[in-house]
Amino acid sequence: MLESLTALNDHNLPYPDPLHPIVVHFVVAMILFAFFCDLIGFLTGKTRFFEVGWWNLFVATVSIFIAIIFGQFEAGLAKPYNLVKSVLNYHTLIGWSLSGVLAAITAWRYVLRSRDPQRLPIHYLAVALLLTIIVGFQVYLGDELVWVYGIHTVPVMEAVKDGILP
Amino acid sequence: MNSELIDQVSAQMGANGLPYTIPIHPNLVHLTLGLFIIGIIFDVAGVLFPLENWLFKYLGLAVERAQLFEVGWYNMVASAVITFFTVAAGFYEMLLATPPASLKSSWGLQAMETMMWHGVGGVFLLALMIGMTFWRGWQRYISCKESDIQVRWSYIFAGISIMFVMYLHGTLGAQLAGEFGVHNTADNLLRMGQDINNVLGSGN
Repeated sequence: MLESLTALNDHNLPYPDPLHPIVVHFVVAMILFAFFCDLIGFLTGKTRFFEVGWWNLFVATVSIFIAIIFGQFEAGLAKPYNLVKSVLNYHTLIGWSLSGVLAAITAWRYVLRSRDPQRLPIHYLAVALLLTIIVGFQVYLGDELVWVYGIHTVPVMEAVKDGILP
Repeated sequence: MNSELIDQVSAQMGANGLPYTIPIHPNLVHLTLGLFIIGIIFDVAGVLFPLENWLFKYLGLAVERAQLFEVGWYNMVASAVITFFTVAAGFYEMLLATPPASLKSSWGLQAMETMMWHGVGGVFLLALMIGMTFWRGWQRYISCKESDIQVRWSYIFAGISIMFVMYLHGTLGAQLAGEFGVHNTADNLLRMGQDINNVLGSGN
């Protein structure tokens, strides 16, 4: 029974498709939308958008840890060929760092919201902008892994297993 | 798409068959799915608020029911808006797709069948999402305006059913990427019999 759970398919995964890129929806979309809502709230004075921003940020913070768990698991099964290794290392390093940065920003946001949910200082928005830029770069690295280097795609996995791709 | 027609523009295309290295459609998909699913989940949390309120209190989170519905509404609006671009980018990139004709996916479908289902399904899902957004707005501003609960169970069940369609739809998309290697640089280079380390290693 255990064998069927650990048997790897032609993506070199024990389940049909990679899960990390799916979990990542809830980090990427929520961080970008949280910033967008906070910005709209700040510019228009409609403070209900701050609530939408906060809750989306909250979801992103919970999700990033799940994304990292699946990311580590799938990176471990990726059989990266030489060219991929440095991109994968950067993606891993930034991913773990982002979890700390995101948790710290969410904690700050929690305190700001507890004190006065109607107000958001501009410093917060500046930091959130920086966060979205780092997330953008992290998404770019993840995109490179999949779309340029073909990590966990069937043709690349076959080539690696056949020893064509050192 | 017919390869002779694609050859008319191939001078501008890279090894992945696109005029840029990273496909746009799969990135917009993050926004479409993330916003839709979290929107529905917050409406569920709003409807079930009396059941989970102890948890919010335990965590020291100040939560009002109306706030959860705000997230449900604005996330749904944003997901419908962004999905126009997701579908548009998807069709542009599908026009330029040249998947191998001999392969079958793990669902037993060939590339063209997979693209047809994914393309038609995408338009269908966009229509459903626009419908959901209008339905949600109608509940928010008209039919449930006086109520503490902004959405009906039928809306929630519709949302969960759409998520299931999205799962099937997303799997077709994942098969186009991960099995057929559509717009994937490394997969295309392998198919052309080129040395990936040589092409990608020296250039950038």
